[in-house]
Amino acid sequence: MGISEQYFPNEPTAPVVATTEFPGPKSQESIAALNKVFDSRASYFVADYEKSLGNYIADVDGNMYLDVYAQIASIALGYNNPALIEVAKSDLMTRAIVDRPAMGNFPSKDLEGIASEILKVAPKGQDKLWSGLSGADANELAFKAAFMWYQGKKRGYTTEFTDAENESVMKNQAPGSPELAILSFKRAFHGRLFASGSATCSKPIHKLDFPSFNWPKAEYPEYKYPLSENEAYNKEEDKRCLTIVEDIFKSWAIPIAALLVEPIQSEGGDNHGSAEFFQGLRDITLKYGAALIIDEVQTGVGATGKFWAHEHFNITPAPDFVTFSKKFQSAGYFFHDSEIVPKHTYRQFNTWCGDPARMILAGAIGSEVTKHDLAARAQEVGAYLFAKLEALQSKYPKLMKNLRGKNRATFIAWSFEEPSLRNKFLADMKTVGVNIGGCAEDSVRLRPTLVFEEKHADILAAAIEKIYSSY
Amino acid sequence: MIRTAYKSGITRASLSKRYLGNVSKLYYPEEVTGPVLVSENVPGPKTIELNKKLGEHFDNRATYFVTDYKNSLGNYISDCDGNKLLDVYAQISSIALGYNNPALIKTAQSEDMVNALVNRPALACFPSKEYGQILEEGILAAAPPGMTKVWTALSGSCANETAYKAALMYQASIKRGDNDFTAEELSSVMDNALPGTSDMVIMSFDKGFHGRLFGSLSTTRSKAIHKLDIPAFDWPKAPFPELKYPLSEFEAENRKEEERCLAEFERIIDQWPTQIAAFIVEPVQSEGGDNHASAFFFKGLREISKAKGVLMIVDEVQTGVGASGKFWAHEHWNLPTPPDMVTFSKKFQAAGFYFANPDLQPKQPFRQFNTWCGDPSKALLAKTIYQEVTHYGLVGRTAEIGDYVYGNLQSIFTKFPTQVKNLRGEKFGTFIAFEFNTANERNAFLVAARNKGLNIGGCGDQSVRMRPTLVFEREHADVFLQIVEDTLKQLYP
Repeated sequence: MGISEQYFPNEPTAPVVATTEFPGPKSQESIAALNKVFDSRASYFVADYEKSLGNYIADVDGNMYLDVYAQIASIALGYNNPALIEVAKSDLMTRAIVDRPAMGNFPSKDLEGIASEILKVAPKGQDKLWSGLSGADANELAFKAAFMWYQGKKRGYTTEFTDAENESVMKNQAPGSPELAILSFKRAFHGRLFASGSATCSKPIHKLDFPSFNWPKAEYPEYKYPLSENEAYNKEEDKRCLTIVEDIFKSWAIPIAALLVEPIQSEGGDNHGSAEFFQGLRDITLKYGAALIIDEVQTGVGATGKFWAHEHFNITPAPDFVTFSKKFQSAGYFFHDSEIVPKHTYRQFNTWCGDPARMILAGAIGSEVTKHDLAARAQEVGAYLFAKLEALQSKYPKLMKNLRGKNRATFIAWSFEEPSLRNKFLADMKTVGVNIGGCAEDSVRLRPTLVFEEKHADILAAAIEKIYSSY
Repeated sequence: MIRTAYKSGITRASLSKRYLGNVSKLYYPEEVTGPVLVSENVPGPKTIELNKKLGEHFDNRATYFVTDYKNSLGNYISDCDGNKLLDVYAQISSIALGYNNPALIKTAQSEDMVNALVNRPALACFPSKEYGQILEEGILAAAPPGMTKVWTALSGSCANETAYKAALMYQASIKRGDNDFTAEELSSVMDNALPGTSDMVIMSFDKGFHGRLFGSLSTTRSKAIHKLDIPAFDWPKAPFPELKYPLSEFEAENRKEEERCLAEFERIIDQWPTQIAAFIVEPVQSEGGDNHASAFFFKGLREISKAKGVLMIVDEVQTGVGASGKFWAHEHWNLPTPPDMVTFSKKFQAAGFYFANPDLQPKQPFRQFNTWCGDPSKALLAKTIYQEVTHYGLVGRTAEIGDYVYGNLQSIFTKFPTQVKNLRGEKFGTFIAFEFNTANERNAFLVAARNKGLNIGGCGDQSVRMRPTLVFEREHADVFLQIVEDTLKQLYP
């Protein structure tokens, strides 16, 4: 019996299409009402989560979509997963919700157990945890830790602050508020708060009109596909990009405390990098004394066939920080070096320091993924789906360019020649009962749950073909 | 051995208004009547042992004690050694209705909550059919006067930063008018360069605290340790009035101080080299030391900012949700026109900002946007908190209890005139603070009080702040006052 059948014996066997327009009339009405008090202009439809199950999301008009977008890649185990429902109903969860602690001051005696569950699925080489609330928050907390670590190395971990530092910092000036940079990549996405927004370089609309830090952007490889036919070219591309990274380290006017990178640039178009590229980044950061932060917000928790996508690369020594959010429900970063924790308390600190309710869910998700070996299962299903997509690609080469994500489980994407055609495709897929998302201007990304199986892949491939055959 | 609990039988000046019934007893018939102390000191041996284990994986060096939330109830927090302390710190001012509140437990165990937890939506793309109603019956029903819309976030920092983003986009769109983004804006922004990025600034006040992410931390001016080694924006700060207490004795001096600060506020707006998009201010600077200012000052800020086209953001993260004796502390000011945005978090569990002007939503979607855009499970809690606060009239209750506490602290402190000073928070609910001459003396007070069964926190350099729940009743006030008095007697015999 498949895992989706085990969890969801009543999961629909096919999408239900109940309306001719999307969003349907009830969704439109509901969006208009909500929009008066809460900006809802980005709504695809209004969902009925009570009726959603497994890989299928229901809307208020009675449509039941096969969901391969999954709340922008943030549903791990399907809608209304019984294992998560059980956890949500537990006394541990009730306490976490009604007595939300300021964890830095008054940690619960439950916290050790909750954190241990999360650490059971920590990336290789990481054994410590700091907790936040969202991907942007996780990244910014990691930046702060990296800056404190970097300055701590310069002044000495145990050296006290100078008077000049203590005074200037209250004016937001150096040396107390030093000029320091995070190096990220063009087309990267790391969040939308002010510092994470400064590291993000995906689309202008994400960044316009916000003050930002003068932080550098290197180039992320732009490979030719299929990879197997373009090995030499792509190797050169790695070299070219690594040279740019090193040049920036040598020449940027502001010291670079950390390099921040996604294993696969997701919002930016599902751009992949090779193991050699990532090892190259690790080597450069070591050479220049900067931290390496791997942003696994979208890639983490199984969807690439490993629990953490960067585990495909065997980076040595292990990255200094690995940030997470989305599918894990909880957010934060993993680390291992005890000097990442600043000598003084109350520096990496805030009221809540995370949310035990979400941490409990993360632990439960980690445990289900491990118990059912869902990362390996995603790899099998991904291989099955990728072969079907390759077949479609040879039939419709103009509608499916740069098919990518081979051997990265269901973390698959392809591009169109025109953004307008991509947008039409995304909209048309609703008419055959599939909720699917884009990335960059011209690409489609698949972000199904970890309980997406061959039978769902069959429905998806048939739906794509149905739309393609109409073009 | 269990030491004797503090008894609340002391006769004190009675409440000024009619006693409305004991909400705490209704919620918590089993609540202890005074602190229970089982270990020699707080933290006790079990805390020390458990905390050591936790510290291997999680930075817990700021731990007061490891808490047993299961055995905490109402106003009393239990540690893992079995000590039960009267809690007037309440998770840094973030517990509204007491520990294990039955109404919140009911909400936590509801089908709606389970749904919100296991099917967390990307709210702006796939809102649930319930979200509008949850907002209308909770967060929006509680909206401050003049506010009709909300954008939800996850924490106080995140609430403030999303408000800054709204302000920055609003000001840029006024300048841009009906024009689209220019090609130069679209390309320069990808290099984090002008004109696509912005040189506009957010102004805040000396000693203000608005969070610890990079934008919010740039406006935070509380303590060096909050800010050191973190790059910051070169944003302006204005002076916040340093009032003399008791306010009634220093009216003229304080008025002069507020006028000085208002003039400086106006001067900075006029002279700062780049445009000031918005300023942010707390009704009471809480982390910064419970610094108050009068309605005159805040009206002045509103008037000047309105005239100069600078948006006003009121940060109600710590002051909001009843503790000041109004649901929102800025309601004490009776502003002629409401603030442009009001941010919230902490006691409300949900976070975000209120506003009214539809232009604070950028013209294009996906600009004020992120994956989750809030958390329906927290919005459900906010709804219950609002409904309970309203049902039991807890804001009015808090105003009365606050007056009672304030009056009694005044008389206790007359016995320690050189050691304790600047009692503040008169007619401001239980949002009360006082201070010592040095940080060391303040810290000694906090530790000694904890060892008598009172969990209480500090703020600023040498102040003590009271941040109890909204179900802090007269019997809790009496225990509190007795411990304060006993602690002072012990420290200053």
